[in-house]
Amino acid sequence: MISVSNLSKSYNGVTVLNIESLDIPAGESFGLVGNNGAGKTTFFSLLLDLIQPSSGCIKNKNIIVSESEKWKPFTSSFIDESFLIGYLTAEEYFYFIGDLRGQTKADVDEFLKQYEDFFNDEILQKKKYLRDLSKGNQKKAGIIAALIGKPDVVILDEPFANLDPTTQIRLKKIIKDLDENTGTTILISSHDLIHVTEVCKRIVVLDKGETVKDIQTSQATLEELEAYFNK
Amino acid sequence: MFKRFVALEWKQFSRSSYFQKGIAIKILLALGALYFIGMAAFMGVAGYFGLQKVMPDKDPITVVNNFVIYWFLADMVFRYFLQQLPVLNIKPYMVIPIKRSTVIHFLLGKTSVSFFNFLPMFFFLPFSITSLVNGDYTVINVVAWFFSMLFFTLSINYLNFLLNKNNKVFYGILTVLVVAGLLQYYEVYSITEPAGYFFNTIYEKPYAVVIPLLLMVMLYRFNFKFVRKDFYLDGAISKKTKDVHTQELTWLNRFGKVAPFLKNDVRMIIRNKRPKQVLFMSFIFLFYGLIFYTQETYQEMPAFLAFASMFVTGGFLMSFGQLVPSWDSEYYKLLMSQNIPYREYLKSKWSLMVVAVVISFILSTPYIYFGWDIFGMIAAGALFNMGLNSFITLYGGVLNQVPMELNVKAKAFSNTQGFNPTQLLIALPKIFGPMLIFYLPYKFINFETGIICLAVSGILGLVFTNFFLNQIEKVYQKQKYKTIAAFSEKK
Repeated sequence: MISVSNLSKSYNGVTVLNIESLDIPAGESFGLVGNNGAGKTTFFSLLLDLIQPSSGCIKNKNIIVSESEKWKPFTSSFIDESFLIGYLTAEEYFYFIGDLRGQTKADVDEFLKQYEDFFNDEILQKKKYLRDLSKGNQKKAGIIAALIGKPDVVILDEPFANLDPTTQIRLKKIIKDLDENTGTTILISSHDLIHVTEVCKRIVVLDKGETVKDIQTSQATLEELEAYFNK
Repeated sequence: MFKRFVALEWKQFSRSSYFQKGIAIKILLALGALYFIGMAAFMGVAGYFGLQKVMPDKDPITVVNNFVIYWFLADMVFRYFLQQLPVLNIKPYMVIPIKRSTVIHFLLGKTSVSFFNFLPMFFFLPFSITSLVNGDYTVINVVAWFFSMLFFTLSINYLNFLLNKNNKVFYGILTVLVVAGLLQYYEVYSITEPAGYFFNTIYEKPYAVVIPLLLMVMLYRFNFKFVRKDFYLDGAISKKTKDVHTQELTWLNRFGKVAPFLKNDVRMIIRNKRPKQVLFMSFIFLFYGLIFYTQETYQEMPAFLAFASMFVTGGFLMSFGQLVPSWDSEYYKLLMSQNIPYREYLKSKWSLMVVAVVISFILSTPYIYFGWDIFGMIAAGALFNMGLNSFITLYGGVLNQVPMELNVKAKAFSNTQGFNPTQLLIALPKIFGPMLIFYLPYKFINFETGIICLAVSGILGLVFTNFFLNQIEKVYQKQKYKTIAAFSEKK
């Protein structure tokens, strides 16, 4: 689904990301971990064509992302709050994203029903603009919006951060569900090793812009990761 | 402590993306500033001799005093629109051991170091010196007069700060100005005379310099108190929320593909402070024609009438359009990664601008009172706005990569003006375009041809809408990464 070749990004001669090759097959749940500055967000930004690669390219379903925009219809993402439109209510925001993804209002309403639990009555009909919601609730709205319209690729940057424990558990369930019951390719970055090992079938560790580990998740993975980061 | 603040400010300035713009623009801006300074200095020296020549029986300083009120009023208006108010994010300073008053003094002091404060001095200083050298004046009077002018200028500076931060003050002053203007216009009461008397008295009695000094200190204290009062987390930088309702705006669905964007734009305008202000200002622009159509002088200068006519219907178009895509800077990454065809996005903005021109045009029908010639000009100006100005403005917008906070609650501590000198450069074709398109045929053929040419230029623009949108789309695409980077810069 996603294939990276000779990708690098440098700012003023300092390389912040350098991935020779990386293939993420369709339907995989892919986790990206690494300390701050490892290049996780840079990688996602490159994947979304928000920054330009210094060399190499990323292909999303064989489309070079920096050359064509045809990947946009089947890719969706939530990176940070700048993916929310602050002056809309949550409903308006969902309908707007729905509009962009060819979903009618009824489709979106139907879709949102399955996430009532996740929203925990804090998102819909709150009579508040998104900008006035708490960080955690903003995140909930953003994550669910990224799932509207059955995208083939979903990219979530640190989805667990800022969420309360209950919501974290519910989010894990949602991601696992997506992974098992649909063909969605899910890319997640996280600082929480426990969560990421729980929901991702494959985990790649980035360090200073390079991939240092590429693990198919198993019982031993968490220990292996903890050992690695406890250096 | 001040030294550290200055160092921080310098870093913020020199590291912003705005500063890293093309060297050519920087040179142009520097030249522009030098030009203004040179002109002011020249006016100071030449102004003295000029006034002496034109009105030999009058004292030049008295003449200046009689009219200086207009200067100060104009200064106030210009500052409101052009002066960038300094930004100082106070939150980080709240918990570290710095006295609040120090932070506020610095914030206010920063406003004093502005081009707008120096420029008048470049006039008053050479004017005062020339007066002393050539005229028969008492040194103490002239020096006191100069300082009075300096203090008045700084008073305006602090008043402008309040105007920008406090809506009550803004509407209060606006009302006073409008009332004074109307009284003057209908010759009920003229403020010019008492104002002239006032300034002359200050000149004649050097100790009266304390009046402007006190005014300045008072305004400064007032600003200080205003900021001080809100220096709390739940004060100036807190958010107050009230219940809001989801608006479907289904009536906009008829616009097809553009509809989702139009809906958002409409919501943006009615739900955020900054765009509301723009909407208000564009309404004021409707009255712009009154200044020109009522003056005998301008009847002989139809090029200026053409310019004014363009402004009557172009207020919203220009003030809104010049900040596309800045309006969407807060969520620009979303727009860039979502399934959004750039063209639809641009077209939605363009449609909004065109609709605004049409509405302004309908509202401008009372201008028929000034004759069909004038109204014809407004109509031609509206066409020019729709067909050409809209595209020039959209083109200019992308070069203006200033991130904007849409709903500036913490007004006193954030930037309220997305306006910058680059905008002025882009404004040139908008202003001189209609003047030239009208004036040349008018000069060589006749008035009607001038109007027709202006109208046709707009219609041609409309015919080539697709072409223009394509071109602008390309510029936007090209600037994409730069724009994203500039918009994600911390404000």
